[in-house]
Amino acid sequence: MANREIIEEKSYKTVYREGNVIVKEFTPSHPKSDVFNEAYIHTCVEEAGVPVPRIISVEPANGGWALSMEYVPGKTLEQLMKENPDKCGEYIEKLVEIQLEVAQHRVPKLRNTRYKLEDVINGMTEIDASTRYELLQRIHGMKRHTRLCHGDFVPSNVLLREDGSYCILDWAHASSGNAGADAAITYLRFCLDDPQLADTYLKCYCQKADMAIQYVQTWMPIVAAAQLAKHKENERELLEKWISVAEYQ
Amino acid sequence: MEKITNVEELENALALMRKAQEKFATYSQEQVDEIFKAAAMAANKARIPLAKMAVAETGMGVAEDKIIKNHYAAEYIYNKYRYTKTCGVLEEDPAFGIKTIAAPIGLIAAVIPTTNPTSTAIFKTLLCLKTRNAIIISPHPRAKGCTIEAARIVYEAAVAAGAPEDIIGWIDEPSLEMTNLVMKESDCILATGGPGMVRAAYSSGKPALGVGAGNTPVIIDSTADIKMAVNSVIHSKTFDNGMICASEQSVTVLADIYDAVKAEFAARGCYFLQGDEIAKVGQTVIINGGVNARIVGQSAYTIAKMAGVDVPEKTKILIGEVESTDISEPFAHEKLSPVLAMYKAETFEEALCKAEQLVMDGGPGHTASLFINTNEKEKMAEHASRMHTCRIVVNMPSAQGGIGDIYNFKLVPSLTLGCGSWGGNSISHNVGVMDLLNIKTVAERRENMLWLRLPEKVYFKRGCMPVALDELGTVMHKKRCFIVTDTFLYKNGYVKPIEDKLDEMGIVHACFYDVAPDPTLQCALEGTKQMAAFEPDCIIALGGGSAMDAGKIMWVMYEHPDVNFDDMAMDFMDIRKRVYTFPEMGKKAYFVAIPTSSGTGSEVTPFAIITDATTGTKWPLADYELMPNMAIVDVDNMMNQPKGLTSASGIDVMTHALEAYVSVMASDMTDGIALKATKLVFDYLPSAYINGAKDPTAREHMAMASTLAGEAFANAFLGINHSLAHKLGAYHHIPHGVANALVLTYVMRYNANPVPTKMGTFPQYEYPHTLERYCDIARYNGLVGKDDQETFDLLIAKLEELKKTIGIPASIKEWGIKEEDFLATLDEMTENAFNDQCTGANPRYPLMSELKELYLMAYYGKDTREAALI
Repeated sequence: MANREIIEEKSYKTVYREGNVIVKEFTPSHPKSDVFNEAYIHTCVEEAGVPVPRIISVEPANGGWALSMEYVPGKTLEQLMKENPDKCGEYIEKLVEIQLEVAQHRVPKLRNTRYKLEDVINGMTEIDASTRYELLQRIHGMKRHTRLCHGDFVPSNVLLREDGSYCILDWAHASSGNAGADAAITYLRFCLDDPQLADTYLKCYCQKADMAIQYVQTWMPIVAAAQLAKHKENERELLEKWISVAEYQ
Repeated sequence: MEKITNVEELENALALMRKAQEKFATYSQEQVDEIFKAAAMAANKARIPLAKMAVAETGMGVAEDKIIKNHYAAEYIYNKYRYTKTCGVLEEDPAFGIKTIAAPIGLIAAVIPTTNPTSTAIFKTLLCLKTRNAIIISPHPRAKGCTIEAARIVYEAAVAAGAPEDIIGWIDEPSLEMTNLVMKESDCILATGGPGMVRAAYSSGKPALGVGAGNTPVIIDSTADIKMAVNSVIHSKTFDNGMICASEQSVTVLADIYDAVKAEFAARGCYFLQGDEIAKVGQTVIINGGVNARIVGQSAYTIAKMAGVDVPEKTKILIGEVESTDISEPFAHEKLSPVLAMYKAETFEEALCKAEQLVMDGGPGHTASLFINTNEKEKMAEHASRMHTCRIVVNMPSAQGGIGDIYNFKLVPSLTLGCGSWGGNSISHNVGVMDLLNIKTVAERRENMLWLRLPEKVYFKRGCMPVALDELGTVMHKKRCFIVTDTFLYKNGYVKPIEDKLDEMGIVHACFYDVAPDPTLQCALEGTKQMAAFEPDCIIALGGGSAMDAGKIMWVMYEHPDVNFDDMAMDFMDIRKRVYTFPEMGKKAYFVAIPTSSGTGSEVTPFAIITDATTGTKWPLADYELMPNMAIVDVDNMMNQPKGLTSASGIDVMTHALEAYVSVMASDMTDGIALKATKLVFDYLPSAYINGAKDPTAREHMAMASTLAGEAFANAFLGINHSLAHKLGAYHHIPHGVANALVLTYVMRYNANPVPTKMGTFPQYEYPHTLERYCDIARYNGLVGKDDQETFDLLIAKLEELKKTIGIPASIKEWGIKEEDFLATLDEMTENAFNDQCTGANPRYPLMSELKELYLMAYYGKDTREAALI
């Protein structure tokens, strides 16, 4: 057996490398359906021809389930940005370009972003009924698109190989829907982690996608609500502010 | 009604409401007006408690202003529509046989916003009561208490006044699922709200009257009354703390009055944000490009406090002096609060550019406002043309102005303002009762007005010409007369008697005698040149169809040198509805037509044909302006027609009469004339052909027949016999009359079919009855069979006999057209014949394939009875 190199440890999973294989091992309490769902989404995306690590197996492990995929050598954009802070602008541009390429794909087997978000908002107790009503109305008024949305398209999920080709990781949140929503999520993640880069990202994205900033902004209260549902206390104040946006009348 | 808190209850309620509406639909205007009045009164009485409830529940706006809005929704809407007919017959015009009838739409879904939760509810329920619709209200969860209370007050008053129970309903526990269901289940949606809601309404699949966001830009021009302008803006912007969608969002002030405007704003209690205060307020008001829900409808002081800016408590408006109109500038957005952007513009043009961008980025289609001296018409026109908004208000507070009837009394009062296609709406006006009605139009069949149009004077009888011409001198005092004729007539002395008569009266004259058969444009141009040089006040056209047609064309070009023949020759379906308006004739010269053959009838018709010799294009002109003023039918001019002409033009007369009689436009006025013409031809053409000048009586009767037939078809028009003959003649150089004769009996058999593929379209033509019409002609000529078919057969036989007598060959082939030549042109001839102006009046609307068959039968001389089978 090859050496087991732990990459990430969370309350519900451990990610480690074993030779040319990356294993995501989930705790026994983690729902089996979530593991299979992630494997399913990942496989759908893989079959659609998006560059992702190949799924090898889903199998029982230590009372829970483990998802194995091939190891892809390279560095994530997050690592690269840390190593070369002066090149941040370039990496953001790269991030946007790859995100737009992903959005070119259609994976109709995936759940629609709108329904996913509606479910999340319907189930939220942290916001009042009126706000939920407005957010749902906002979703309802959006155009119905079917682009591949990663759902957490951040620099740490984009891996660059030495030859310059890329590979995208972590497809658990992917869905089929509006690219604007996906961009709003990325923008939100930047605002939470690295606000200085957020505006650079948004401007770059809208310019390259030829998309109006307002369109991405329309999604922001919705994705903020979905993020609020993750109950991260340090994010609460910002997210509540984002959610509290009235529709023009 | 039971409470509606879930989908099942909602569906039950909708069923009850539909029943109620069915009953309501039977109410009379008097009953409806009674209910409308009672409901308006009740809403009006409750305006204060409803306003207070709205402020308490939503925490937005100003109670005193909401009272005005409720008052307005009850009183102004009632006043506007109290006398408006919304039930039954709205308008009726028995002469035209048209009336409009109002019918309710059915069940209306109304979505009510939080910003105007009670006034909009009053407005929409009143409109629905006036139009006999049921209305189901979907309140906003944040304002459901006061919206429902407003609806309840209107509902109870309406029921007390006799409205059916359940005619107004509301969702007690609103959810998006129920709002969507209501929209789907309704017949029409009155959607007032944000873009998301309006889009949802439009995507529900039901017709929706949706309205949208506004971003009203104000321009204060250098010529404006500054005090009035500034105080109007303040009055409007502070109204209900800036929540009316038509409220001003920015003022663009011309540089030369900027300081004065600013001073007036400041003097009236507005606060100009300084330094970083602008950014602080901007970031508080706008979050990620959307308006912060917490500041909507709040006072300037409250908003400033939230932004960490210290302002006096009574501050009316927070004004940010900014430069960018781009959406990245928070102040460029709709702010739904007493926060205002202020821009400086060096020129009016710059101000327009700014306003244009603010409208297109923030509130396309809604409202724009202008303060200006109204003598500045050019600037006002430019502003109106540049603003893509459905309301442009001038010199008034835009919130109170845009909703109508307060600062302008023709702008329809409404709390639902359409934004047109610019705002993604189906309507661009202020919504009113007419938007909630289905208007039925009942149109009864009416007959078209017909006419009998003839030359002012038709003189006839042998030897009448000099007597008639006498009038030109003694009565009309004409001075200069221009004669148009052909070389043959000129050389053979036909012009001489006319010239002598003119000389006798001292009328100067000139003569153009170069008209050739099938007159060309080139010939007419030459004649016109001479005519223009001569400047006649009278034109005499002497000759057959060619000379008279050429004379008419020269007349047109003489009177109107710039005419375009392509335009004049444009085909029409109905001569009264043609696109081209023919120029008025007769201003320069009086037109006299003197025929020398008995055929075309051109002396009494409004038609002329001219050919462009260089391109071969034929322009058939038709307009009553081309009608000669005087026709002189004197058989002395016709005695020596050659045999061939007598035959061809004689049978042409018969065709004119037959086609005019069976035309869809035939009338009692033309029928008698046409019948008489057929009889004269049957009776006298053989002798006129055989005996020529030796039988002057026959000649004279044929002259009359020709003019009579001309009068008939000048008013009833012709049919496909002429369509086919025109093209046959043109492609194969067959004289017009002969071409007509070669297809005549085939066309008659074809037209007589009681089951035509398609019949002609004209209100007077009620059903295919051409066989009966032909039989009228037969019987008038003494041909009576045992039934219509036999009678018709007798007519055909008599026509065949006539043709034979006057030397018409039995087929096109026999005339000498080679088969290969004929077949080579057949398809083109067919299509052009179909497109001939004469086709439209034919009693049977032909298919091209049918015309082709007729051509082929006539070519090979087949039994005409085969044409009856087409």
